[in-house]
Amino acid sequence: MTTADALPASSGLDSSRRGRHRIEARGVSSGYLTKRVLQDVSFVIEEPAIYVVLGPNGAGKTTLFRTLAGILRPHEGTVEIDGIDVGRQAAQTRLHYLSHIDGIPDALRVDEALKFYARVEGVGAAETEKVVRLLGIEDLRGRFFSELSQGQKKRVSIARVFLQERAIYLLDEPTSNLDPKLAREIRDLVLALSKDDLVLYSSHNLFEAKEIGKYVLALRAGRVGYFGLLSELRPTKYVIGIRAEGAEGVLPASTKQGDYYRHELSGPEEVPKFIAELVAKGVQIREVKEMENPLEDLFA
Amino acid sequence: MVDPVAGPERRIPSLRGTTIRRTIVIGKLYLAIGTGISLLLSLILLAGPHRESTFPVTFPLEIPLFAVLGSTGGLMTFTSDRTKGVFEYLIAYGIRPRSLFIDGLVSTAAMVAIILGLALLVGVGAATSRGIDLTGDFTKTVALYTIPMSFAGALFTSTIGMIWSSVSTPRTGINSPIGIAPMVGIAPTILVLIVAETVPSGDFYYVTVGAALAIIAAVVGLLAMSARLMGRERFLSPL
Repeated sequence: MTTADALPASSGLDSSRRGRHRIEARGVSSGYLTKRVLQDVSFVIEEPAIYVVLGPNGAGKTTLFRTLAGILRPHEGTVEIDGIDVGRQAAQTRLHYLSHIDGIPDALRVDEALKFYARVEGVGAAETEKVVRLLGIEDLRGRFFSELSQGQKKRVSIARVFLQERAIYLLDEPTSNLDPKLAREIRDLVLALSKDDLVLYSSHNLFEAKEIGKYVLALRAGRVGYFGLLSELRPTKYVIGIRAEGAEGVLPASTKQGDYYRHELSGPEEVPKFIAELVAKGVQIREVKEMENPLEDLFA
Repeated sequence: MVDPVAGPERRIPSLRGTTIRRTIVIGKLYLAIGTGISLLLSLILLAGPHRESTFPVTFPLEIPLFAVLGSTGGLMTFTSDRTKGVFEYLIAYGIRPRSLFIDGLVSTAAMVAIILGLALLVGVGAATSRGIDLTGDFTKTVALYTIPMSFAGALFTSTIGMIWSSVSTPRTGINSPIGIAPMVGIAPTILVLIVAETVPSGDFYYVTVGAALAIIAAVVGLLAMSARLMGRERFLSPL
């Protein structure tokens, strides 16, 4: 699978508009019937990048995506896509939404399911073929969706997002249930999209989030707990694991977990100095790895 | 008028053809039972010694019951699409929730048309080949009771079932909307027969046609009310 060259066909959007899209949420409270899940959520997103949406279960991530996609109407506040209320079709056709649920109709084979969504999108057989190749699902196309494994289902579900180019992508856990290789390929595709487009990406995998995200939007109990550059996020502690020989007496035995000694530092900038001190004491370093992700603080 | 910021609205192609095809696959067992029992009934009636008197009276009166049962696939497809998250995507594409209900009803009507078509074609063909006279009351009963009550009963069942499944937690088996709705749906077709039998024979068809129109009006009323009162969250998957 390639990335940028294999991206979806142009939707006919004016190329001068690329990179000039905007999502604006103003005082949004949203939820289900009388139950409010999101409370007074406000933000503006306009720089093409990946915005990782984080939060513990029940924090409101899926509700936020559904509200931004125009599926749920806010109880209060407004959501605008390029200045257009998201309840209008003109706004909805500027974005792609990928739910954590497959959303593939029963009783359809894979190629029929893709044609079903291609029809909704208004694209033809050529785009469907391209997406089948892009996601590597050629061998699945004649099979019923219900017969596929979880990972195969996810691949087919993701395929619809690439049927047509859009300016905004709302991706709710796109790599869950995928094997590491395919998860990597999907992340590469999303990274390629983020050069020109706005991508909101939710994940429970904090290492993945840290790897691809430029911004973090963290939800806590339905409110925005943090919204800013991931690089500006200062962790309260930084824990590394060291696999080494000759560390007995240098590193406390009580900190050993499996093959690794855990050591807490105040930040990643302290790692080189600490490792140099160990080497100076005769410790032979085999491996150093991050044991906890700084984004975990956002879940606290 | 075209909004200068939003641009023209794109007309989303109808998915009804695909939905009907899927409904045939999803509800094939019900479709087979509804059609099969209708055909079996016609053969049993035609095999009896009093076929000339029983067939023209009994056959058209019982078909609506099997049409209601056999068209359950429309409701099954609606419930499946909601649970599997299909509606969530379609709403995100700009499809209005009301058209999801209407697709469910059109699929149900298509199933009724299949059952009615096959049952009448085979039943009438077999009766005619056995030399049974089907002019007069038989034709009138089919036109003024069998056909309108089959559609009205099935659409009523489907509407009740779709609203019910949208406002309740999904469950399976006989205790689910799919399990119970057909029982609710056949009630009007039986009630109409009971009421029609109590009026003078000349008024029989006024009662059947009037009841069919009243049921269709109830379906339209329920749809209008549900489209206005039901939030979009009712169409989302609870998974």
